Amino acid sequence: MMREFNILITGVGGQGVILMSELLGKAAVADKLNVRGSEILGMAVRGGSVTSAIRIGEDVYGPLIPTGKCHALVGMEPSETLRNISYLSKSSLVIVNTAITIPFTVSIGESSYPSPEEILKQLDKASGKIVQLDAAKLAQEAGNHLATNVVMLGALFGTDQLPIKIATIKETIEERFPAKLAPVNMKAFDLGYEACRQAVR
Amino acid sequence: MKQLTISSDAPGERLFALGNEAIARGAIEAGVQVAAAYPGTPSSEITETLAGVAKEVDMYVEWSVNEKVAFEVALAASICGVRAMASMKHVGVNVAHDPLMTASYIGANGGLVLLSADDPWAWSSQNEQDNRYIALQGYIPVLEPSSVQEAKDMMAEAFELSEKFHHLFMLRSVTRIGHARSDIVLGKISRERRKGQFIKDRTRLVYTPREARINKPLMLERFEAIKKAVNKLAYNQLKLADGARLGIIACGLSYSYALEAVKWLGIEDRVSILKIGTPHPLPEELVIRLLKSVKEVLVAEELDPFVELHVKAMVGEDNLPVKIHGKDLLPRIGELSTRRLTEAVAKLTKAKTPLDFAGIDKLEQETAPLLPWRPPALCPGCPHRASHYAIRIASRRVARDYGPGVESVYPGDIGCYALAYNPPQEASDTIICMGGSFGIANGLSHVIDVPIVAHLGDSTFFHSGIPPLVNAVYNKANITMVVMDNSATSMTGFQPHPGTGYTAMGEETVKLKPEEIAKACGVEFVEVVDPFDLKQAASVIEKAIRFPGPAVVVSRRLCTIIEQREKRKRHEETIPYYVDPEKCSEKCNSCIELLGCPAIIKVGAKAVIDSSLCTGCGLCAQVCPYQAIVPEKRQ
Repeated sequence: MMREFNILITGVGGQGVILMSELLGKAAVADKLNVRGSEILGMAVRGGSVTSAIRIGEDVYGPLIPTGKCHALVGMEPSETLRNISYLSKSSLVIVNTAITIPFTVSIGESSYPSPEEILKQLDKASGKIVQLDAAKLAQEAGNHLATNVVMLGALFGTDQLPIKIATIKETIEERFPAKLAPVNMKAFDLGYEACRQAVR
Repeated sequence: MKQLTISSDAPGERLFALGNEAIARGAIEAGVQVAAAYPGTPSSEITETLAGVAKEVDMYVEWSVNEKVAFEVALAASICGVRAMASMKHVGVNVAHDPLMTASYIGANGGLVLLSADDPWAWSSQNEQDNRYIALQGYIPVLEPSSVQEAKDMMAEAFELSEKFHHLFMLRSVTRIGHARSDIVLGKISRERRKGQFIKDRTRLVYTPREARINKPLMLERFEAIKKAVNKLAYNQLKLADGARLGIIACGLSYSYALEAVKWLGIEDRVSILKIGTPHPLPEELVIRLLKSVKEVLVAEELDPFVELHVKAMVGEDNLPVKIHGKDLLPRIGELSTRRLTEAVAKLTKAKTPLDFAGIDKLEQETAPLLPWRPPALCPGCPHRASHYAIRIASRRVARDYGPGVESVYPGDIGCYALAYNPPQEASDTIICMGGSFGIANGLSHVIDVPIVAHLGDSTFFHSGIPPLVNAVYNKANITMVVMDNSATSMTGFQPHPGTGYTAMGEETVKLKPEEIAKACGVEFVEVVDPFDLKQAASVIEKAIRFPGPAVVVSRRLCTIIEQREKRKRHEETIPYYVDPEKCSEKCNSCIELLGCPAIIKVGAKAVIDSSLCTGCGLCAQVCPYQAIVPEKRQ
């Protein structure tokens, strides 16, 4: 059994971050793996930053990923990915959706949004490998922009590093959605999976 | 195969669960018959889970009007021999404090458990209070889980312990238990159902000074028995390492961080660990054994040095040659973590830290200025945004008459509407506690001479807004009290309350109206407005502020999230608004600066509405001075 594999999912409230960790957790349990996780809900959500951790393996006790110990950082939004830089080390892999969500504080001039180059430059200093993906576009291609999170899940599995079987996560996704949405989500998963495999290769 | 759920009678099966679901499962396994609560993060999902299966598992579940009533409901059930629990967030326990302090004198017939969900780092709270001190004050034994699995197990066993010792128990959860997720192994569900029986017992149940003096010594005896028993409880575990110089006393969740830390440092075999599952009363026999076997001890616990002070007192009493560390190396603020434990243990053992933490911190600090500020905000279409704006323009009109530069004061409260404390609205001048807006407004009215406009939500009004409203009438406080009624407890997940017309278990019931309550309390100015009719709302609020004496305005509109859900069910289309770039002025920016709606962003010099976020509330169209914002045209 895998000793420790830590996944951090980041994004903005409403992007389906919590659902992604639920799917991963359920699949891990189905594969008889030990799993822990934690998330921030409540006051911190309504349009704010969201992070959810899923940790799999025998050596995992706590609900939080320790500093520098994230194996895969899945970023639904570029600046939110960067916000979690302290979890990364040179052995971490970052998968980032390139579609940005500008907070209203930028519109009222209370803060500014970094350029994609700045984000990449910083992430590159901390991590081993970065995979960029226009997940929103791939979700559209699959048939529904709401499937962006499933595209990113597919991409995560495309790294070929997860202790969860691909068949198991696919079954979990299929069970979670109503029958008419299942094909869209399966396609979204496959598109993300392929995009990441090609990028990693 | 039937899907495994939180109420499945499937002992030994593994389920992926949220910590709060696991706690609910513990209660189901224990055969709890009465569960009462007031919602509050991070505790709400416990009672939501129970409410969802209440009929199936034969349990009475209620959302009480506040935490004091919730605790009294549970206490009454316990007095009648039925297993009962009350759940609340840490500050909710303050509201329940009055009956709680006498509950330990009464003891328990049916198992009685108080669930306190503490919130280190105040993720969703106004403070970081450590409720172990409340337990200390009330002689309430505390169970503190180190994992989600243990939270479930402890919850189930708490009822056994409560009945064994005839005493109330507290389960202290924290955010990283209640909102953590884990695989859990299910236990057996008790199907025992007892018929409640009230046996008159004045000496135990009627508290005059005589009974306090009779029952306190009996209570102390019960507590002494528990104090002895916790040394044998499996949740407290001492693991001595041969020849260890350092011992760690790890309380609750800190135990999981401590295990990871010593493993990360590669010194598992050189450190003794005492796992603490009952910080109060402390298993003193186990503590003494650890203290006598090592030279130094690190007490790992979140928030205050509760166990640390107790251990230091023990060291002093027995004059033991051991140095106690705790808050000298670990913070009193915020959550502990594997990293914090790793650094503290590395310092004490001179072990090398496994990562260059300083380097990581440096990179994080260098990154921080690049990041946009993304605070939580009111949802697009939220009626509170409109209410806040109406209050603002109305009170500005009145403040002008008070003299140049006079500004109104806006006492605020706990709930979604608090999210407008951020720019651009900055709508709350104080936020302290539930119902505090009206209370603070009362006090202000006697010492300052400016318009005072307080606001709270419907659920908060029922929770603790009525006594300060009565107070304002009785003591002639010249204040305006706005009830922002969105017909839900939205911040915590849309739980029903006395104004919604249905109960936790989905039964229909009466629908109480804040305006009728206000009238019945003697408020002479009471009006109801629709905040999306901005002009009318502002004009009524202006009249309320000018009214000499306490005035109430109920600003009523259904929570936009519920509204959108219902619209989807009805297959009703949402027609978003858009900004006509021809009419929008580059110099203006009013919609963005006045409303702070996440659906309106700036592209170049002009405002643009994100049609995927817009709910079509039309508020921005009402504030646009150029009539540039109109509904999208549909064929």
